[in-house]
Amino acid sequence: MSDSDSPSAITWCAIIAATCLLLFLFQQILWLVVPFLLALALYYLLAPLNKKLVLSGLSPDFSAALLSGAFLLLSGAALLFIYPIAIAHASEWQIALLRYLEGGTRAIEGMIAMMQDKFVFLRDSDISNDARQNLMNFAEQFSDKHLGKVILTIAAWLPSILLAPIITYFLLKDGAQLRRFIGCTVPNAFFEKTLYLIYALDRTARLYFLGLIKVAAIDAAFLTIGLWLLGVPSALILGIISALLGWIPYIGPLMGLTLSIMVTATDFPGDMVLLYWVMGLFGVLRILDDFVFLPYIVGKSMHLHPLLTLLMFFVGEAIAGVAGLMLVIPILAMVMVLGETLEIILLDTRLRARHTYARNLHKRAVTRDLNIS
Amino acid sequence: MLLNLTGKFQAFKGTETPQLTTMRGITLFSQVATNELRAIKGLLHRRTYIKDEIIFDEGEKGQAIYFIIDGKVLICKQGRPQDGAIAELGAGQCFGEMALIDNSPRMAQVRAAEDCTLDVLFREDFLGLIETHSRIASKLSLELARMMGERLRQTINSYVL
Repeated sequence: MSDSDSPSAITWCAIIAATCLLLFLFQQILWLVVPFLLALALYYLLAPLNKKLVLSGLSPDFSAALLSGAFLLLSGAALLFIYPIAIAHASEWQIALLRYLEGGTRAIEGMIAMMQDKFVFLRDSDISNDARQNLMNFAEQFSDKHLGKVILTIAAWLPSILLAPIITYFLLKDGAQLRRFIGCTVPNAFFEKTLYLIYALDRTARLYFLGLIKVAAIDAAFLTIGLWLLGVPSALILGIISALLGWIPYIGPLMGLTLSIMVTATDFPGDMVLLYWVMGLFGVLRILDDFVFLPYIVGKSMHLHPLLTLLMFFVGEAIAGVAGLMLVIPILAMVMVLGETLEIILLDTRLRARHTYARNLHKRAVTRDLNIS
Repeated sequence: MLLNLTGKFQAFKGTETPQLTTMRGITLFSQVATNELRAIKGLLHRRTYIKDEIIFDEGEKGQAIYFIIDGKVLICKQGRPQDGAIAELGAGQCFGEMALIDNSPRMAQVRAAEDCTLDVLFREDFLGLIETHSRIASKLSLELARMMGERLRQTINSYVL
């Protein structure tokens, strides 16, 4: 779309207001919104394969069922595989988690001690004791207060996450029909413009979701290789978890870094140089993500100003917390296309005149044999 | 079980629904195989227009190619259906094909000469075909080139004569 088609200031205000309202509403039905977004990502991932299967001679229904069914089966098998292992090792993992939390606490203490050693104004402060006390409290109470909640939350989310392959099946099977259905609801005069914008939305969403998946894969590979070269244990698991956490803007990368620091500090106590290397690795990845991977892979598909993006992240977080951070940009992009479409249709007098002319033609055609004065 | 599935697969592969038969009547799809037609069918939007209704205007941004399934359309200079007629096209023919090639504005106005049914293929879908079904896209491109060559030849002949 050309610059001349970009929304006006009033439309932008309406777009932002609608995004905020949708975020607020979506927060109430998060159990449906999250699997839907996962399903969209899965749909864009599987769509090329689905097209190939249809071309090879399978019916669209069978092809969609085959792909989403295979994904569902694989997810189910993975869960069935992981579940007994998780049950058998639950107590060991809990002990390990506490060990890593303590390791992380020690690392932070070490860093604070080093800072107090270097900076005179920190020496007299209670920062070390306060931090130590808070972290020890958190570590001691984690298994009693938080671990149960985390496990319960994951268990509560599982059924709705399993909705994702089912939604994907319908998107693969009826995606084209859905587009045709939307096309059918639009009058002839607005048809081409509206459909063009729907295609633009589809392209934007595809670039965004596939881009996120590609960036996560690159991040996982980068972190795994980096951590492995530094000698950090479980580099693959840490790399994958950190890359997936990267999908949560701002907070996610920090969570990934914290996890890696906890593991490193526990397995290499007192090795502050290694800790700095791990931090450096995450820092380099952040720079690469922001300036190389995201711009080149996700591209400027959203056509959003960086300042607006940043502001919307804050607004999203204020309205819907972490979920708001993750949802705000896709929702804004969708509302933006909708706003653009409405603006074009409402302000294009020629299109509206053509629509009125077509309506009059229809009216004349259906009343041709009727004597209406 | 496997034999049954294979049978279904073969039966589906060979089946030609009435809509596919209609599509085969369109010149651009004449060289496309049945299973390839099925892939294209999923991309088409069916529209109906009443006599005299404007399909698109001259100078409008072109996003799609139109295939005439039923009825006739009139290609004319903008707002001059009587004295500015350029051509009249009927079932099986297509128009607006330049939209598949470039982003240039529509070169003429198109109106429904009589009540008509059209199938519409968007450029985005055609570009998608190039990426995912290059065989189909190359067949369509070849037919498109043939058709445009034929129109060019007719234009040159009309000037020479």
